[in-house]
Amino acid sequence: MARDFDVVVIGAGMAGAMTAYRLAQAGARVLILEAGNRNPSRAQMVGSFATASAKTLHSPYVQAESDTKAPSPDSSSTYYEQPAAPHTQYKSTYERRTGGSTWHWLGHTPRMLRSDFKMSSRYGGGPDFPPALVDWPVTYDDVEPWYCEAEREMGVAGSHDEWNGLFDSPRSKPFPMSMIWPSYSDTWIAGQINGKSFEGSEYRVRSTPSARNSELYDGRPPCAGNSICVPLCPIGAKYDGAVHVAKATAAGASLWEQCVVTKLDKDADGSVHTVHFLTYGGASQTVTAEVVVIAAHAIETPKLLLMSGLANMSDQVGRNLMDHLAKSTFGIAPEQLFPFRGPPSTSGIESFRDGDFRRARAGFRVSLNNDGWSRRGAPYTEIIDFVTNKKLIGADLQEALFARVTKQLRLSCSVEVAPDPNNRVELSAMTDALGLPRPKITFTPPQYSLNGLAQATKTLGDMFRLIGATEVDLGAANAYDGAGHIMGTCRMGSDPKSSVVDAQCRTHDHPNLFIVGSSVFPTVGSPNPTLTIAALALRAAQDIADQLGFKTEPQI
Amino acid sequence: MSASREIRTRTDLLKLLCEAAELEHGIACSYLYAAFSLKRDIAEGGMTWEEQQKVRRWAAQIYFVASQEMLHLALVWNLTTAIGGTPYYFRPNFPQGSKYYPIKVPIELEPFGPQSLRRFIRYEHPQNIAPERDLKSLLASAGDDAEEIEFGSVGELYGLIESGFHNIGEKELFIGSPTQQMTRDLVHFPDLIPVVDRDSAIKAIEEITEQGEGTGRDREDSHFGAFVAILKELLDSTARGSGFSPARPSMRNPSARLERGYGADSNPIDDPLAGQVAALFDSVYSLMLRMLAWSFEFDSVGVEEQLKKFCSVTIDIMPRVLLPLGEGLMLMPAGKKYPGKTAGPGFGLTRHVMLPPSAENARQLCRERMKELAVLAADLLKLRLPEPVKSGCRHLREIAETF
Repeated sequence: MARDFDVVVIGAGMAGAMTAYRLAQAGARVLILEAGNRNPSRAQMVGSFATASAKTLHSPYVQAESDTKAPSPDSSSTYYEQPAAPHTQYKSTYERRTGGSTWHWLGHTPRMLRSDFKMSSRYGGGPDFPPALVDWPVTYDDVEPWYCEAEREMGVAGSHDEWNGLFDSPRSKPFPMSMIWPSYSDTWIAGQINGKSFEGSEYRVRSTPSARNSELYDGRPPCAGNSICVPLCPIGAKYDGAVHVAKATAAGASLWEQCVVTKLDKDADGSVHTVHFLTYGGASQTVTAEVVVIAAHAIETPKLLLMSGLANMSDQVGRNLMDHLAKSTFGIAPEQLFPFRGPPSTSGIESFRDGDFRRARAGFRVSLNNDGWSRRGAPYTEIIDFVTNKKLIGADLQEALFARVTKQLRLSCSVEVAPDPNNRVELSAMTDALGLPRPKITFTPPQYSLNGLAQATKTLGDMFRLIGATEVDLGAANAYDGAGHIMGTCRMGSDPKSSVVDAQCRTHDHPNLFIVGSSVFPTVGSPNPTLTIAALALRAAQDIADQLGFKTEPQI
Repeated sequence: MSASREIRTRTDLLKLLCEAAELEHGIACSYLYAAFSLKRDIAEGGMTWEEQQKVRRWAAQIYFVASQEMLHLALVWNLTTAIGGTPYYFRPNFPQGSKYYPIKVPIELEPFGPQSLRRFIRYEHPQNIAPERDLKSLLASAGDDAEEIEFGSVGELYGLIESGFHNIGEKELFIGSPTQQMTRDLVHFPDLIPVVDRDSAIKAIEEITEQGEGTGRDREDSHFGAFVAILKELLDSTARGSGFSPARPSMRNPSARLERGYGADSNPIDDPLAGQVAALFDSVYSLMLRMLAWSFEFDSVGVEEQLKKFCSVTIDIMPRVLLPLGEGLMLMPAGKKYPGKTAGPGFGLTRHVMLPPSAENARQLCRERMKELAVLAADLLKLRLPEPVKSGCRHLREIAETF
């Protein structure tokens, strides 16, 4: 029976667009279905942000129709059904729109480490080691060539010398661009702490690899230091999923926006060919394909599977929801570091990501940041204080403000979250404007990760001490923010009884249904997830092309 | 100069490296002048909010390309010292006619616009390829005074330089000390390559040509590709007839001091105050250049801290002093002789005191000069000036205080 398309990809975010691009390039007839609206021009989005009275992640992307018909936790604070405080909350959010949440990501692209793929066999067995912290069915060496390919596709700037061999994780190719140059603040901090240690781990400041152009690359300009990467790069120097949406459509893929997928049908033989979707007007439509790829992030993907009753023989769909526990800490440096310039973060410390300690607590990354105390309202908070309380005006105000804000420093951490099957996405009884269930979220940070958070906080305190900072604020114990790294919920594994997809991102239960995106991560380590998402999507695209019989140019 | 020629002696190679240094330097100034001229604020008129986003992007790209030209100059200096030469930082003042360099394109200071962009495209045009038909038509649009352009290119010059590094024996050629080479540990120049042998020399040359012309596969990401894209976008925007005017009405080839034998066919700034600011710009620019060239010239052994200090001060001066002074000048009137025009920096290099080999003495000379310039900046701060000029003057005083 002739199908409408060879492949239907659900979701026009980075993972879906990259998959669609590769398959369209290989000659497949590809359709991308996107729930969100078509993007206005970048300048219009910058304008929306500039004129918004309250600046939020969603300010550039407000669109009444799509915010109603394809709501997201970015557009609606009540989109998630969660137990009310004081119960712990899941704090990370996402966009539903063409290009996906990479519109407002920071752009950091560290790789996972060799050990991150082998947590159970490397560190497992002890009383404090979470049982769900499993090995991946793929190794670092399996993924490494695809990391290189993802770095090339996205355009990653980084220092090969600094990153090659980190924790036994070699790089087979240099980065496509030289690193984003460390900020003045980074180099000053490195001068104060490099070579010193904290509880056995040595401080060493490294430039953070970023999908942010350090030079002209892929027809996009180099970073000009506009400093508002989050929520939107005004010039397109930072990679976002729209880059590959454009490449996919240029390669022949079709893109249908404002199409909210509601259900997938299973045939008698277990295969999935039929995709039902609703338009914003409420019309129900259907499209068929040889292969279906779900690329709807780690909350909409399990939601769709649960709505369809598919891929869940293991009862793992929606389980093991993860994030990174993020924490910002603040201090005043003993000299001027001149923050508020360049990308919000250009360097970090990787030393605490791996070690024998992971038998009992999580690893973490440290970021040095270039945004002063802007997360606490700087410089506006200071202006209000100086004017109203200290009665400063004119040149006195200017000088006082300059003296203060140029010394503001934020250090932050991002702590590995262990999988826990009780942390999960389910279907809420509450529905959205199209009558579709909203996600019901349950999330409590595992003790293993809270132990890591406590250690990270101590480490940040030690860094502030070494730097000689004053007015240090390490925040409350166990307090954390969302990192925006929504992961887990359709875990990858070799055993169909305990996992949703296999090593190729193919669902165990349906041979032509694939899932790309961070939902397939069985464990997460502490790096930002996007590069790993891209690497796995490119790898899956190759397998899908092989399964469909399309010949691809060898990419690796 | 012909691409088929080959270089076989150190003397010829050094001569060409000096020519390359002069060209990279002059071209960087030309790019900076165009970037300074781009409007920042909607209040300046001639652009909508959306067009302002575009102008900002163009400015960022041109500043970036200019910064890579500075890197190229630094690489040329490393190539020069590696074979026993001295970094060359002189260049004739603007404008330089089309016959001065074999690339047969004039080097001028003129504001951003189709004419300056066409000139930039010619600087960066890849060697050994004929201009595609659409590029030819882009370059030949109204307002262009050249009929048939022979595409001698900067790439061709580097082809000759590369031949010298291939033809002359490695042992015989590389007589410079490896510790004379500037590295990223000493100067905050991303992608700076120390040159110690033939391989590193070729790598440095490739880096220059790839960033400028690009290679066949990534030509759109080269300087050449960037300027072509900006020109297309500009012509497309202005063709809509919306009154879009992205650049300030700055004069061409300004000079601060014609009366002192500046030479060349420059246009002396007629407004006394703007002339004073332009003169301060030239003095800071000249001192900055000498400090940078000094750092590249001498062996770092024993004077590493001074090299680092000189380099960090020069790199501080570029965005914090020269950039605001340059942009600010373009908001000041050029004087009665140039109705409706604003001034600009002349990047004038006039007679100056060379820095001595002694690190201590060089530092003393620079410290004293910096203080003198800070006094001039303080005097200017008492006057009514555009905010960017005031900001450049304030920064200069701060830098001088901690030098």
